[in-house]
Order: sequence, then structure tokens, then C-alpha cells
Amino acid sequence: MSPPSRTVLRVPQQTSRERRPAPPRPAHRRDTGRDPGPEALPETLDAALTDEAVLATYRRMFAALARDSGAVVDDPALVDIAETLFDAFAEAGEEWLTHEQMRHACRAHPTDRFESRLRVLRGLGAIREVFPKPNQLRYRASFTSVVGLMFIRRMMDDGGQSEMHRLLALEDLNAADPRTTMEEARQSAGNLARAFRLWALELITLTNGTIEELREQAPKLWGTEEIARRAQSLHGTILRRWPDLDRTCTELRAAIYAYSDASRRAAGRLADSAGTTRNLTLLPAETWRTFAQTASKERLAAVLDGFVFDSPAPWHDPAAIATAVDEAPRPAPVRPAPPRSPLPDAGPVESADGGVAGLDRLAAVAESTLGGRASVPLDEVLTGDWAAMRRVLADLASADLRPELPYRLRWSDAVAADPGGQPSWRSDGTLERVPTDD
Amino acid sequence: MTETPTTDTAKNTDAAETSTVRLITTPADPGEGADPALAAAPAHARARAYGPLALGLTEPAAPGFVRLSLGDAVTSAPTTAGDAAPATGGPATSPVIALPAWPDGATPSILDEYGTAPVPVERSGETRRVLAACLRACWSDLSAEPWPGVPASVADVLACYRALIGRGDDMTRSRAVGALRRLADTGWIIRSGDVVRLGPRCATWPPESHSVLRELVRRLPGPQAAAGPVTLPLDASAPLDQPTPSETPAASSDAAHSGHGEPAAAPADVRPGGAGRDETASDLDKLLSAYDERRRAELVAAFMAVEHAAEPVHEARFAALRDPALRRTLAEMLARRGRTLIQRRDTWTSGYDDDVAARVAGAPGAGTRPGLSEGERAVLTLVLVHSVAIPRADGLLSEDTWLSPYPVAVEELRRRTLLPIGELESALRTLRQAGLLTQVKAVSEEAPGGYVPGPQFHRLTAAARRRLQEELILAAGPQTPLATAIRARRA
Repeated sequence: MSPPSRTVLRVPQQTSRERRPAPPRPAHRRDTGRDPGPEALPETLDAALTDEAVLATYRRMFAALARDSGAVVDDPALVDIAETLFDAFAEAGEEWLTHEQMRHACRAHPTDRFESRLRVLRGLGAIREVFPKPNQLRYRASFTSVVGLMFIRRMMDDGGQSEMHRLLALEDLNAADPRTTMEEARQSAGNLARAFRLWALELITLTNGTIEELREQAPKLWGTEEIARRAQSLHGTILRRWPDLDRTCTELRAAIYAYSDASRRAAGRLADSAGTTRNLTLLPAETWRTFAQTASKERLAAVLDGFVFDSPAPWHDPAAIATAVDEAPRPAPVRPAPPRSPLPDAGPVESADGGVAGLDRLAAVAESTLGGRASVPLDEVLTGDWAAMRRVLADLASADLRPELPYRLRWSDAVAADPGGQPSWRSDGTLERVPTDD
Repeated sequence: MTETPTTDTAKNTDAAETSTVRLITTPADPGEGADPALAAAPAHARARAYGPLALGLTEPAAPGFVRLSLGDAVTSAPTTAGDAAPATGGPATSPVIALPAWPDGATPSILDEYGTAPVPVERSGETRRVLAACLRACWSDLSAEPWPGVPASVADVLACYRALIGRGDDMTRSRAVGALRRLADTGWIIRSGDVVRLGPRCATWPPESHSVLRELVRRLPGPQAAAGPVTLPLDASAPLDQPTPSETPAASSDAAHSGHGEPAAAPADVRPGGAGRDETASDLDKLLSAYDERRRAELVAAFMAVEHAAEPVHEARFAALRDPALRRTLAEMLARRGRTLIQRRDTWTSGYDDDVAARVAGAPGAGTRPGLSEGERAVLTLVLVHSVAIPRADGLLSEDTWLSPYPVAVEELRRRTLLPIGELESALRTLRQAGLLTQVKAVSEEAPGGYVPGPQFHRLTAAARRRLQEELILAAGPQTPLATAIRARRA
């Protein structure tokens, strides 16, 4: 089949991103009629539709308009091109778009695809030349096609439920309009009866079919009590105004009841057969989110009323307790720091310096200790606290060990003990200056 | 709305009763009156659901229970419990406590032999070390059994713990306090205010394992050790602190006297103050006695496995699950405990029998019963909605189960629900500890961490799973045709 001969309709691709929460509906009211029917189901199509399901919907929606059975797109991605083009036209303003600009807008799609789509869109008049003359380079989009897209998107959202709402509301207004004739009312009631009957029949067939198909399709087809209520109100209006339409109204009434009943049956079969968690699918994710975000603590807790769960009862085996104790994390042992002198310390670099400066300092210490004498007993010079004493002693010992310096320490064997003093004992010693040869 | 589920539940279970009763009575030997054994089923279910049962002083325990009476030793406990009673829960402070007994002296440790993981213990090392510290402080007379021991002050227990691990910083202390809370929640200790004593579950240690504990307690440092320089007590070759029967009571009674009024009476007695441990007639013995030793052991192993393993166990490992005849006996054993076998493909676990669960949940005073608090139930519901219902509505989950790989972030629960934030953390902790929630660690940006329903959801019967689904739908979409259908079916 050559592309131009195909009647390809423009419908948007439904993606999960585009799912919108259903519009708020008026408060539900229990029907006081004979059969209350199912209560309102405000939003029904939020379940993810696979590509095939999307296409199936496209085909069904446009069956009445299609020229042959292959007339609807066979790839939902094709709809993207039309949508992208309409977006581009909306932004373009009065200048509209050239062929190149359209191509640029659809640069994400392959050229041959784009061209074939464009041919179809032009063939059906969704995109037209700005002026109908040869070699026209500028194109404009059709408002009707864009509105059509919006309508299709709504149909995709809830399987036509909102359209039914609007239709019923409009019919109600029409029925109340003094200009409406009885013939128009009859026609309107007949149309509605037919729609409800078909709706109910589809539900009944689904209810008797496989559970998988029912699960997939039912949410779209379930009506709401609101729709049934509106339909009954319309029915009442028509019957009051034109009692002669009694027979048509009876048919409408029967169709509405059949629809309510079929809707309830489908729900019942799903509830009976859908396993132990699968029915959760049947509420849209948004309903669950709303519940999680708005339910009070009491309402949430009430769900689990009557359920019995185990209280925690862990087992601590004696061997496991012993193991746990053995595996206790051991703290790293604290190592005591070596004792340090509280006095300022020149540091290791300088003290290792055996150069002239070091010798000079030792000589100066020894000389100041001797105070001009040739020798001096250590008891005399080692006074004050131990910290000071040991510094002096260390310097004198160093001087003693330096062969090039003329100072020596002479120790005797005597030890003076003083338990209360500091230090508590000391050896008897003398510092003396030894004569040098030079 | 709040009324509806309750009455519906009752009706539902009434309807289910006939089938359940048939299920229970069919396998019972006709010659043997099964009724008395089954009569104890609700009591066993209560003990499993709400912890050790409190009995009156003269009240006998049902078959299959160990009856623990604290005798004189506990007369002071209720008075000391006083204001702290809520911390320990009702049953724990009662003078007589009943715990289900395991067949043939088995303990959940038997799972190790079968390579099956038991219910995980939160922070197990820390919790067990704190339990060891409690033992050190409360088990005064090592020649007697550990339970009931003597009361000890919390300060003493913490000091023992400090000495045991050699650290005394604030974090160590707060973790030890957390472990004490977990032990008290699970019946391993009884805490009344500042006083700690060993809990009823300590009476379930089999006598042959006492020597391990005795050895352990001998080498643990006492509370005084913590005051001095840190010494590592774990060098078994040189036990640092050999408690003598006269030394330990002195240490613990110092503290006990202060808040307690009663001295730790007669530490030399085997069971101070007339405390007693009586096992009632075994409810499972009659069922088991028909089998030779090997089969009997297989039955007991399978019983312990389905009851105490963390996850359902594969039938390949347990002969009593593979063999239909043995499995039938196993089902009977479980029925006497108010339980039923739950199969999922080749794996098995146990859950509350629907009828028994309904009776336990619908028992008078159910409103004040222990178990999950309102906040905890609310949090659990939220996790179910986020982790199961929403992914399922989005078509992400395919298996018909209440477990889910899609965690809900704590942030979601904190920010976008009407739950009081203060309750959230403690509710999550309790639910996690009970295996009702599992914490999932974040692995990447795309897979953030959070909570999913825990392994306890394996233990729901098909009827309970279905009812849970219905309750959720009734709560979240009371106006939907589905909810109408559910109500119509229940009516």
C-alpha cells in the first residue's frame, strides 16, 4: 500500500509521563433507586498501557472513519511526529513553518519516516500550505486536528468516561432547553440508550472472558455511579417533559441498569479471582499515593486490625553468646608516652652537634660551675630542684667525657642518703680542672 | 468504615471456620481425643504473637508450655516494677509466666545443623554481649541454673559490659542501653526501672548448655573491674575474676538493695524463694511417639525449621517436608500450636491458622492487647502501600506475594504522610526487629535504600493475604466498585 493512500490518523502517544490524575468529581451520592450499583470510580485508566493496547484503542476509536483496516498507525512512535509538528507550529507564530523548519523540528526522527508522515498529514489536511499556490514553501497547521488530538488524549485517559459525563451534561441542558423538540429528545435518548447498552455488553463479554483480558480492560469500562446518576436524571427530565417518550425512556432506563449491573459484576469477578495481591493493580497508583499521603494514623492502622503477627523472639544460643563475647572488639592498648623534661629542649639536631659551639657551651658551664677554682665538690653546685640539677650534671658529665676539654669528674665510693630530700641519695663527687700541656 | 472490616472479618472467619476445623480434625487419630490438644492452640498463638503468657498464681499452663513461677523472688518485682511496668510489658512482671516448650528439648540452634538461617538478631554481637553482662550480674550462684538468678541494677550490668569490652564512652553506653531494650522487648531480660533480672526466655536454655554459660560467666569481669584500669577479660588462660558464690551476690545486692528493698534472698539456694520451672505434659509427644527415632528427629527438625527459620525452607533439606505422611504429622503438630503449614512452590513455612488467628485477634480486650501499636501498624500499612500496592499498580510486580523489591524511603514516610515524626523511628525499629520490615541498603542513585515488607509476610496464609489486599482496597478506595464488590461478598 502506498503511503498517501493510507488514512493515518493523528493521535498522541500515551506515555506514563503524561498520565494525569483524574479531574475532581462531585461528591458521590448513594442512589436511592432500586439498585445502587457500584459506587463511583473517579479515575479508572492509569494502568500502564502497552504499545499494543494503545494501538488497539487507536484502531477502535477511528474504526468508524477509516477507509480500510490498515488505516491506523502501526507504531505509536509515528504519532510523536504529528505531535512534535503541532508543537512546532504553535511556537512558530504567524510566519508558520517551512519544510526545512518542520524537518528540523522532527530531527529526532528518520527522514523517510518524517516525509511519509508529512505526506499523510498534508493529504488529510492537518497541515496545509499557507496559500494554495504552486511552490508554496510555508505551511500551517489545522486547529481542528489539534483539538482532535486533545480529544483523543482524553479518550485515552479514561476510555471515554469523561466524554460520557460531558455528553450527559450537555444532553441534560438540551433537554431543559425550551427550543428542544420532542424529536430531538427522542433521538438523544435513543443514542444514549444505545451507548449504554454497548458499554454494558462489552463489560458482560469481558466478565465472561479470560480473567487477564478482564483485568486489562475492565478499569476503562467501569462506569461510575455518577454517570448512572446523570443518565437517570436526564431520563427523568425527558420523561417529565415529554411523557409520550415513555417507551424510549424505558429503553434508556433498562440500558442504564444493565450497565450498572455489568459494571458491578465485572468488579465482583475480579475481586473473586484475582489472587491475593493482584487486585491492587485495579486501583490507580495515584489513588494509593493519595491514600498514603492523606490518611490519618488511625485509618492506616485500621487496615491491619485483626491481623496477628509474631512478636520478635530471637534465639540467643549459649554458644553464640560465648562467641559474641570472644569476638568483642578489643580496644587498642594505650601506650604510655615516654617521660619528657618540662624544661625547654633545644632538640636533637643541636645537641647532636659536636662542633665548637657545643664544646664552648660545655666549657662555659664547667667554668661557671668552678667559679675560678681548680676544683669544686658537687654537693655545692648541685642545688635546687632535680630538674635543674640533672641538667647541670648532664653537662658536666659530657664535659668530663670530652678528652679535648680540661674538666674531669672524680667520684668517690661514699653515698649520702637523704630519704626526704631530692634526690634521695647522691654520690660524693668533685669537678676539677686538669692542667693541659699547652 | 471502621466498623465494617471488623464485622466483616468476624463473618469471614465464621464462614471459614467449617473448612478450617475440618482441616484440623481430619488428620487427628480418631481414637485419640484431639480436642484437648487443640484447645491450647489459641494460647500458643497468643504466646507467639504477644510474647510469654502471664498466668495467675494458681492457673495451670496449657499443654505444651513451660510454666515458670518466680515465687518469692518476684514478690518484690511488681512493686519495683511500679512505674516502669510499661517498659517490660504486662506479662513479664507477672509472677507466673508460660512459654511454649519445644519438642524433645530442641532449640532453634538445630537450624544450624541443617544449614538454615534462623531469624536474624539485630546487632547480634552487641545484644549477646549485653546479655552476657546481664548473666554476669544476675547469675549469682553458678551451681544453680541461670534462671531466675537475682535482680541486679542496670548500673551493674552496664559496668559489667564496660569491663567486658574495655570501653566506657557514651556511644558504647547508649548502644548497650539499646541492647537492653531489645532484650527486654523479647523476654530475655525483665527490666523494671533500674533493676534487671533474667527473663523467662533464659529458662529455655537446655541444661546441657549451662556449662558453656557457666564457663563464660566465670571469665567475665565483675562490675567493679570497670572502675579500675582496663583489663581484657578474654584471655581464657588466665581468668582474672573468678567470682565466688559469696562475692557476686555482694556486688549485685549492693545495687539491688538500694532500689529494691529486698535482699537477693538466699543465693545459695538452687532456686531462690521457691521459683519453679515446670513443663506441662508435652502436647506433641503423642504424635511423635508413633515414629522411630530417626523420623522423630526429622519431624522435630522440620517443626523447628518452619517455625523459627527466617525464610521458608526448601523441602529438599527436610525429610518431614518431602514425605507427605510425615508432613501430615507435622501439620498436626503445628495445628496444636495454632499454626498451619504454608507452601510456596517447594518451600515451606508456618503461619497462624486462620481460625486461631481470628480468635486471638478478636479476643476480648483485644484493644488493649500487646502487639503492634497503632503507630506501628500505620507505618506497616504505609510500607505495604508504597512497596507493594504502588509498584503493582504500575505493573512492576508480577509475583502474587506481599514481598517486594521496591523499598520505600524513610524520607517519603517522614515527609509525605500524616504520621507524627516522633513515632516513626521507634515504629520502624520495632517492625524491623519483628521481621515485619526489612531494611534495604542503598546501592546506587537509582536504587536508594529504604524499607520493604519483611519475612513475616511469608507467614501469611492465602486467606490472610487476600484479606490484607481487601482491607487495603477498602481503606484506599472505599468508593470504588471493587470495594463495593468486596463488601457485597462479605455481607
